[in-house]
Amino acid sequence: MNVQIETAVKRARGYWFVDGFIEIAAGVLFIVLAVFTLSSGMYTSQMTFSSWFVSVTGKIAILKLVSFLIVFLLLWWLKDRFTYPRTGRVRGKITGMQILVLIKNLILFLLLPIAGLLIASLLATSTGSVLSSMPVWFPAGLGLLWGILLMLAGEWMGLRRFRWLAVLIFLGGVGTGIWQLAMGLPGIPANIQPNVLQSPVLESIKRALTSLITILLIAGVLLIFSGAWTFMRYRKENPEPYVEDV
Amino acid sequence: MSSIQGIAGLDRVIHEPARLTIVALLSSVASADFLFLLKESGLTKGNLSVHLSRLEEAGYVKVEKTFRGKIPHTEYQLTPKGRSAFDQYRKSLGSIFNK
Repeated sequence: MNVQIETAVKRARGYWFVDGFIEIAAGVLFIVLAVFTLSSGMYTSQMTFSSWFVSVTGKIAILKLVSFLIVFLLLWWLKDRFTYPRTGRVRGKITGMQILVLIKNLILFLLLPIAGLLIASLLATSTGSVLSSMPVWFPAGLGLLWGILLMLAGEWMGLRRFRWLAVLIFLGGVGTGIWQLAMGLPGIPANIQPNVLQSPVLESIKRALTSLITILLIAGVLLIFSGAWTFMRYRKENPEPYVEDV
Repeated sequence: MSSIQGIAGLDRVIHEPARLTIVALLSSVASADFLFLLKESGLTKGNLSVHLSRLEEAGYVKVEKTFRGKIPHTEYQLTPKGRSAFDQYRKSLGSIFNK
């Protein structure tokens, strides 16, 4: 009986994901980020690593914030016109702890890539081998991190498809790492001067960015597929808005 | 408390399966409307209304009636008393089955 109660609790928690819109939006965001990272790696006039790095991370942070705002408004509009008339409206429960976790995640989301690369550049002289293998371990580590987050979220909301997504994204990360190891994907072609870095380290970072773009694309496509499949199923189950019986 | 006494001490308002489903659904959200509860619980409209009224009488659920445009909209939320009763019910149930 406790299991059935738990199922009801989880169904309400996962209601935000019932129509697939959030996954589609997240997938599109991932692909936009990948395309932006790729374009800033391709069309760069000659500049030092430091100025290129500050410029790109700053633009990415702004892009993330603007995209979040657009996606939030779009989801609010879509749900108000499509989902709520079909299966009802739910307001999420926000506790003080959840707000703290959200702020922490937002800060991590914005700062982690910057911090990671800064630490990597600081360690450049002492841990050359770690940095030279970055294109291999970086996508695998990122795939593992996203996989764990998705697995935990899926468990918390009782969404089985999140487990599949978690496994596939993790495998995508490991696959990209193996691909780099076996064949060596090219680095981004940006014309960047090493500046504070040694040339091999810069090459490694450029190849790691190719890994990042690949894993972003893999995760984006998987999320869009999962969202589209969920949306089609939802629409089949709820073809028309609910009408009161007369 | 023995498990037999534990069974007798279960909250009868929540113990009814339909009301238990409603309370479980409301426990993890701030509020939900009638349509959500109707779809998720699988109850008929009349049945759901009766059980929601019973929960409201017990002080476990708070009802808020508003208008969305010209259409009336009713939202339900678990009160602190209802939340605490649900937590207590789950604990009691757990201890009964674990003994």
